[in-house]
Amino acid sequence: MERIYDKLTGESVYYKKHESGLNIYIMPRAGYNSSYAIFGTKYGSVDSEFIVPGEAEATKVPDGIAHYLEHKMFDQPDGSNVFDRFSKFGGEANAFTSFNMTAYLFSATRHFYENLETLLDYVQSPYFTKESVEKEQGIIGQEIRMYDDNAPWRLFFNFLGLLYNNNPVKLDIAGTVESIAEIDEKLLYKCYNTFYNLSNMTLFVTGDLNVEKTLRIIERNIKNNEPFTEEIKRIYPEEPKQVAGKYKEQRISVATPMFMMGWKDNDVGYSGKPLLKKSIEMEILVEMLFGKSSKLYNELYDEGLINQNFSFEYSPQIDYGYTAIDGESKNPEAVYEKITKYVDGLRESGLCEDDFKRIKKIIWGDFIRSYNDIEGYAHSFLSMSFLDISYFDYFDEYKKITFEDVKKRFLQQFDNEYCVLSVIKPE
Amino acid sequence: MLKVIPINDNIRLNYIPMDKLKTTSMGMYIHRKLKKEDASKNAILPHILKRGCKLCSSSQEIARYLENLYGAKFSAGIGKRGDDHLLCFEFETISDKYAPRGERLAAGVVKLMMSMVFGSLDEFDKDSFEQERANSITKIENIINDKRIYANYRCQEEMARGDSFEIPRLGYVEDMKALTREEVYAYYKEIIVNSPIDIYVCGDANIRELEAEIRKGIEGFEFKKAEMPSCTILRRNSQVKNITEKLNVTQGKLSMGFLTDMKPTDENYFALLVANAIFGGGAQSKLFNNVREKLSLAYYAGSILDKFKGIMMVNAGIEFDNFEKAYNEIMAQLDEMKKGNITDLELEASKGFLINSLTSYYDDQHSMISFYLNEKIGQTFADIDQCIERIKLVTKADAVDAMSDVKLDTVYFLTGREEQ
Repeated sequence: MERIYDKLTGESVYYKKHESGLNIYIMPRAGYNSSYAIFGTKYGSVDSEFIVPGEAEATKVPDGIAHYLEHKMFDQPDGSNVFDRFSKFGGEANAFTSFNMTAYLFSATRHFYENLETLLDYVQSPYFTKESVEKEQGIIGQEIRMYDDNAPWRLFFNFLGLLYNNNPVKLDIAGTVESIAEIDEKLLYKCYNTFYNLSNMTLFVTGDLNVEKTLRIIERNIKNNEPFTEEIKRIYPEEPKQVAGKYKEQRISVATPMFMMGWKDNDVGYSGKPLLKKSIEMEILVEMLFGKSSKLYNELYDEGLINQNFSFEYSPQIDYGYTAIDGESKNPEAVYEKITKYVDGLRESGLCEDDFKRIKKIIWGDFIRSYNDIEGYAHSFLSMSFLDISYFDYFDEYKKITFEDVKKRFLQQFDNEYCVLSVIKPE
Repeated sequence: MLKVIPINDNIRLNYIPMDKLKTTSMGMYIHRKLKKEDASKNAILPHILKRGCKLCSSSQEIARYLENLYGAKFSAGIGKRGDDHLLCFEFETISDKYAPRGERLAAGVVKLMMSMVFGSLDEFDKDSFEQERANSITKIENIINDKRIYANYRCQEEMARGDSFEIPRLGYVEDMKALTREEVYAYYKEIIVNSPIDIYVCGDANIRELEAEIRKGIEGFEFKKAEMPSCTILRRNSQVKNITEKLNVTQGKLSMGFLTDMKPTDENYFALLVANAIFGGGAQSKLFNNVREKLSLAYYAGSILDKFKGIMMVNAGIEFDNFEKAYNEIMAQLDEMKKGNITDLELEASKGFLINSLTSYYDDQHSMISFYLNEKIGQTFADIDQCIERIKLVTKADAVDAMSDVKLDTVYFLTGREEQ
């Protein structure tokens, strides 16, 4: 295996591309009591239209199918549930579907290798029948309903609906009760056979483990797989620069209005190191602009326009990106006014270099800290790998970033023409 | 592995060494007895203290101070564990060995923590007080926002009528409105010298250096010895309470409260812990496998134990029309438990589930601190390995026995329309 080493933290990760096409990462962490493995496919809710390698025609599938498929992977050919197998070995299993990936995972404090074999086995063993697919409609129907009542979730999707005209990221990950009614076992197999080809998947394993033995067990449990020689073509609709709308309001039984506002990133379409660099610049930038030591935050707080539930984030992907600020306010419109004016003012007066230097220190701390939680680390590593980014390049890129870079990025990203506001108001 | 360093009659410094992580976590916890007349003062106080002190006179200065410590994390808030109303001040910094210029980061954090709690300015700032009062009221009103949490909260509130546990963690809107700045300041001055205080440090720190920083922070104060608030479990002898509430929601939330008649110090407590895991804790449990997997009634269905009050809560999100089906299935599964219909796999898997989660605390400083704090509040003073050993010893008969006294107390249902 190839060893990648990080000087600053003293951590290593071992990598191998298996002949089946699977990317394997093993990261030993001495002293940890838990071990963790995550087996992911670069396939999420946005991938509803695609061309299977070797086929001429595009395939279009119902919204929510990636998530539906995730649920159905837990069924076993003998009628049992895969949770039982993990339970026997004390493993805690779970899975999730996001916009861009689906992942199966477990954590365990004993019987690590048995749990790892279970993970590898079930993700490579689809078993869907008409009956089992129908049974899931009720459970996922309740999951969709749960989110219908979830104000932060509605706030977020209304926000995405304002930013994007066509990009499928604006659609609910689980689909709708109507769209999932169209899903049957044949469609599930079609998606499985396309996106769960091992050449579209990555396995990340971490904990206090033996690298050679872990690799042996992984290789022994890889099933026959013909890797794709060409890539799966994902078809996304054309997205214009303009936002789809500026303002959206929904009423839900909450006590205080909630807001999410933000800017659409139109500098998209690339992955790898340039994307990593952009995302670190944005991390620094949003902290400078909106962080707890910023002038803006303290004014908003002192004027009673926001409370301690205030957060902000830049979200990088290959085909889209956005900056989002969310919080609670009795007057979301005033928050929006103040923030957009502040940004306009800074476009005139410029950013402060002292802030840049101080905030760069936080990013250092956050980078060191990110190694603590092995589960969180594994998630970051995996989602970055699907963007062709190695997490181990993070520190090198961080060091290179100058105040000039951040100033340029600010002018490019914070243009209020592309800024939107989503609000949830009490009924 | 926990090292206790008494600072004085009231203050204990608890050190949990852990060098495999790259951070050091710290928390200061002021224990107060849950009382109606103090609840709102307790709830607002941490938020006022975080607004400025002698070391950093404003929120912005505190933020800059923490940023210069490579982005040390900080939060203040109020907790409720049984009858203990806990004022919390929590911090986390990267460990000193990762400071690029050899800065003493942990000591820097402790210095701020001590100043925040003991080094307040001579009076509370008027504007800050008003803002935090408004925010504290908003927080109380916001309980309704997350319906899943709200249903569980309402069910517990109904169960606790007449017991001090009914006093809400966040205090009361009316009392908040009536608070004066002077009154809260006087209360603050009184309680910092008149309450048990636990300081936890978990990580890789020079504990003597931190101890010195703590002693420096309390110079000049005179302390009055205070007792830990005592905790009693909830007991009631009346008919099952049924409550239905209507809100504009698309999914119904069922919350059922049970009394267990078990204290954390009871011999059979670990059997109850295992029994609850078999019943509704995790994906190996009866509720998950029957309410969700077999009957497809819910996406989530599970039970949790509040050991301080001896109560067990069952929660599920369901269609409005499925209330009866879900209720019946939950009661049927409880009956299965009482009859002893538990497979060896269920028993072993549930013990594994508990052991797995306890063992994983060793990888998380916040969980470690929380574990030891809970052991202290519950008066059990065990460590993680001792708990694991006790869980291993639980037999099926023990689990059945522990479940035999569990009885339904309150059924709460949040629905979206009139009963048909």
